[in-house]
Amino acid sequence: MPYRDLQGICACLALTLAAQVASLPAWVLLTVVACAGIRLLLARRGGTAPPRSLRLGLAAVAIVLLFLQLHTFNGLAAGSALLALMAGLKLLETQTTRDIYVITLIIYFLSLAALLEGDSFWMLAYLIGVCWLTTATLLRLTTAGTTGGGAPGWRLSLRYVGRLMSQALPLALILWLFFPRFSGPLWHLPATARSAESGLSDTMSPGDITELALSDDVAFRVHFEDAVPPPHERYWRGPVLHDFDGHTWRRSYSAPLHAAKLRTEGPAYRYTLSLEPHQHHWIFTLDWPVQWDLPRAALTADYTLVQPEPVSRPINVQATSYTRVQAAEPLQPMQRRRDTRLPPDRNPRTLQLSQTLRRAHPDDMDYVRAVLGMFTQQAFYYTLTPPRLAGDSVDEFLFDTKRGFCGHYASAFATLMRDAGIPARVVTGYQGGTFNRFADYWIVRQSDAHAWDEVWIEGHGWVRIDPTAAIAPSRVEHGLDAALGADEPLGSRWQRDTPWLADTRLRLDALRQLWRERILFFDQDSQQKMLETLRIPQPDGQKLVMVLAAALTIALCWLTWTVRRELKPTPKPPLVRHYLRLCAKLAAAGVPRMPHEGAQAYAARVARCRPDLAAQVTALCQRYNFLRYGTAPAHITVRQFETAVRAFRPKFKPPRPALRPPDSHAS
Amino acid sequence: MSTLRQAATLKLRAWAARRHGPDSLPITIHRRRIYILPTRFGIMLALMLIAMLVAALNYNSNLGLAFAFLMASLGVVTMHHCNRNLLGLCVDATTEADAFADGEARFEFLLRNDSSVERRDIEIRCLAAGTGGRGSGSGDGTDAGGTMGSGGGGVQPKSSATLTVTIPAARRGVLRLHQFELRTRYPFGWFHAWSYAQCSLIAYVAPSPLGSRALPPGAERGNASRSEVRGDEDFSGLRPYQPGIPLKHMAWKVLARGGEAAVRSYSSTAAQPEWLEWSSLEGLDTEDRLSQLCLWILESDAAQRPYGLRIPGQEISPAQGAAHRVNCLRALAAYGIAEPQ
Repeated sequence: MPYRDLQGICACLALTLAAQVASLPAWVLLTVVACAGIRLLLARRGGTAPPRSLRLGLAAVAIVLLFLQLHTFNGLAAGSALLALMAGLKLLETQTTRDIYVITLIIYFLSLAALLEGDSFWMLAYLIGVCWLTTATLLRLTTAGTTGGGAPGWRLSLRYVGRLMSQALPLALILWLFFPRFSGPLWHLPATARSAESGLSDTMSPGDITELALSDDVAFRVHFEDAVPPPHERYWRGPVLHDFDGHTWRRSYSAPLHAAKLRTEGPAYRYTLSLEPHQHHWIFTLDWPVQWDLPRAALTADYTLVQPEPVSRPINVQATSYTRVQAAEPLQPMQRRRDTRLPPDRNPRTLQLSQTLRRAHPDDMDYVRAVLGMFTQQAFYYTLTPPRLAGDSVDEFLFDTKRGFCGHYASAFATLMRDAGIPARVVTGYQGGTFNRFADYWIVRQSDAHAWDEVWIEGHGWVRIDPTAAIAPSRVEHGLDAALGADEPLGSRWQRDTPWLADTRLRLDALRQLWRERILFFDQDSQQKMLETLRIPQPDGQKLVMVLAAALTIALCWLTWTVRRELKPTPKPPLVRHYLRLCAKLAAAGVPRMPHEGAQAYAARVARCRPDLAAQVTALCQRYNFLRYGTAPAHITVRQFETAVRAFRPKFKPPRPALRPPDSHAS
Repeated sequence: MSTLRQAATLKLRAWAARRHGPDSLPITIHRRRIYILPTRFGIMLALMLIAMLVAALNYNSNLGLAFAFLMASLGVVTMHHCNRNLLGLCVDATTEADAFADGEARFEFLLRNDSSVERRDIEIRCLAAGTGGRGSGSGDGTDAGGTMGSGGGGVQPKSSATLTVTIPAARRGVLRLHQFELRTRYPFGWFHAWSYAQCSLIAYVAPSPLGSRALPPGAERGNASRSEVRGDEDFSGLRPYQPGIPLKHMAWKVLARGGEAAVRSYSSTAAQPEWLEWSSLEGLDTEDRLSQLCLWILESDAAQRPYGLRIPGQEISPAQGAAHRVNCLRALAAYGIAEPQ
């Protein structure tokens, strides 16, 4: 086993594992690295593999450790970890090419495992690159053992494997396009290890949403089928928070999966929402959702769309929402109790204020307007950098600091409502979004995260009140940038302020969305549409398989042709081709050219055998000699020679028997 | 398992021999005579590809599918390249080889590559006769596939290369091989493609040169006069040049004057030829006699003396040179072995 090839295979394994650093246990990675290091050291010293008992013991310990940690060998993470361990331990004992073969197979499979839950173009490109390198190493290994000339160099190997891969590309493309997709998994997938949650959480303390506002990550993208709701109706509903302890709002898990009927008004908005994974159960929808295409998702009693598993992979949801609704059923007493409850001895100054206001405004709607009016009349500021609040956060905010972000206002407003006995709850989600004019969709980023309130008004049902809109109306109409002062520490604002940079970002995002819709979400429906564009009537699975077979046949014919094409000898120059045609004609006439004969000698022999052809053949061969070897006179050209050969039509005559050479004739 | 494999290989070889009939060298490897199968590693790869496909389908992962399909297509392309590595190659061979017992016979194969692609990793295997042990001397050193020897190498584009296959020759005799095989596992060892050529290769295995008997008396005298001659070369005249005569005896001056190529002959080398006789070796068994004769032939040849060989049923008149030596050694190798029909 040459040291350099061992190095190559170790490098390939390391590159594959690099793609899975996040999902593999750290000690597995360390074990593999240690094994590779030990083996390389041994190989450098010219030593052989460590003893068999040590290797077996190590393998047993590693597998037991793995089981203790993961409690299963089933599933992607455990399987990948096991494969990685096996590759590492196999490295320890690599002696022959066969061991390397096993390691290359593991590398291929680990690459696939990294792709199963991945979604990025770069990951695919990277792993194809790794496989390219692995295959080149394999080429060097297999040819090193047997060829006398030794293995081809790295550059040559990479070029050769690259050519093979480019020849494989059309075939792979056809398979990918036409291989029938299934609507669901073949069997139940074991739950994967959860990665870190992102975006909104199910609690809200003052300052939580501020952190989100600094993030430029995309939460989801939305494409509206027809009408687009106006900005002040573009509220994307997330978790609804009910329980307040004076500082933090929490989601109530007692909410049953039953949403009361709504009376809808106004236009229906149909849209496709491409949700990025955030590891929570809820799915953001335009306020208020009435219909969606996820079979396992359902509405909670507070109208949040949830599904049983957390969103751990990108999903697409087609949904319909109405922005104007009314409750058709009265509020349940239990719900009313929950949404008017406050911690008894917190925020006393707020309670005092609400009692004063309530006395002046006994009507619920009047009271709401009075509170909103208070926010606009007094010196409240909308800012990303409010002072820190401790203890009775609402009291401090309303009476001392008066500076806050959407969460502060939503929290204070809901407290004021509950103090007055009006059921109120805090809704978190996103508001607004950026239109991508290079492709027809809206981008909603984490910086669009928002919190607002809903209050129960008899006769109307739950009414959305956004106190932030009262302080900073431009937040709702034009987004966060417009609402905040220029000195706010908003992340990457300079990028958005530079037009060409903003355009570039949008174009890149459009590409990303295209990748997602066309590649990641290529499914049965897409295949059916594809067959329709191919003008195949009544497309179904059977026709798809037939198209696949036809396309594969064509591709395989092409492959055979293209691989064998290189075997053909290089085409001869036209002059020689014409001369060979002349020879073929003469051969058909009964005077084949001998392999050793030049044009002149041949002409002389033809002249002797066939005096009837002598003049023509001598002239033609002379011309050929001029063109091929001499400086031809201006009037003799290849074209002319060609027409002369074409015009030459000798008749067949059986050869005369016993033609004697001229010198013996003379004697 | 391995005997099953061996039996299958033998069946296949016999079938290929019937299908293609005897070949005449040189052979151009036509596509209809190339066979291809996945290697054990290739089968492992195929199983892994199926696992990949199932995993990607189960996870509904389009990227995983793309990767699995790319690897599968790479496998198909590799199959074509493996096949192409033999396609159109032109093979010629030295059909006769000489060896001594306990030594090895070397067959040389000339591979001509007229195409513009490099052929790599080509192996030639000389195969023992069908059932093994039928031809005399075969049956030694064969492995499971009936291979007697193999050699590997590559051919640059538009050029040719020589591969040497060494075959162990254990016993004196005539080793006949009726088939040889070109095979390749290029490029990745996922497939092996092979092609059979039916043409007989003959190795004459002379006895190993052993013995303690002195040369016959006539030869002794020749030897003595030879040592005399070393001092002053006793020029006795010119005789026409024949291939095989050492160049140092060439009469260059005669040639330079425009005469015919001639060699100087000396009284010692012109001395009466020695006869290496079977009958002079009384009391030894056949193989020992042959070994002794072989040793004498080599000694006489090294001393550049003319010699003749007399064994029962054959007499080779005295001469000198490489061709003569080969003739004599082949006579020893074939002694007592029936000519095949």
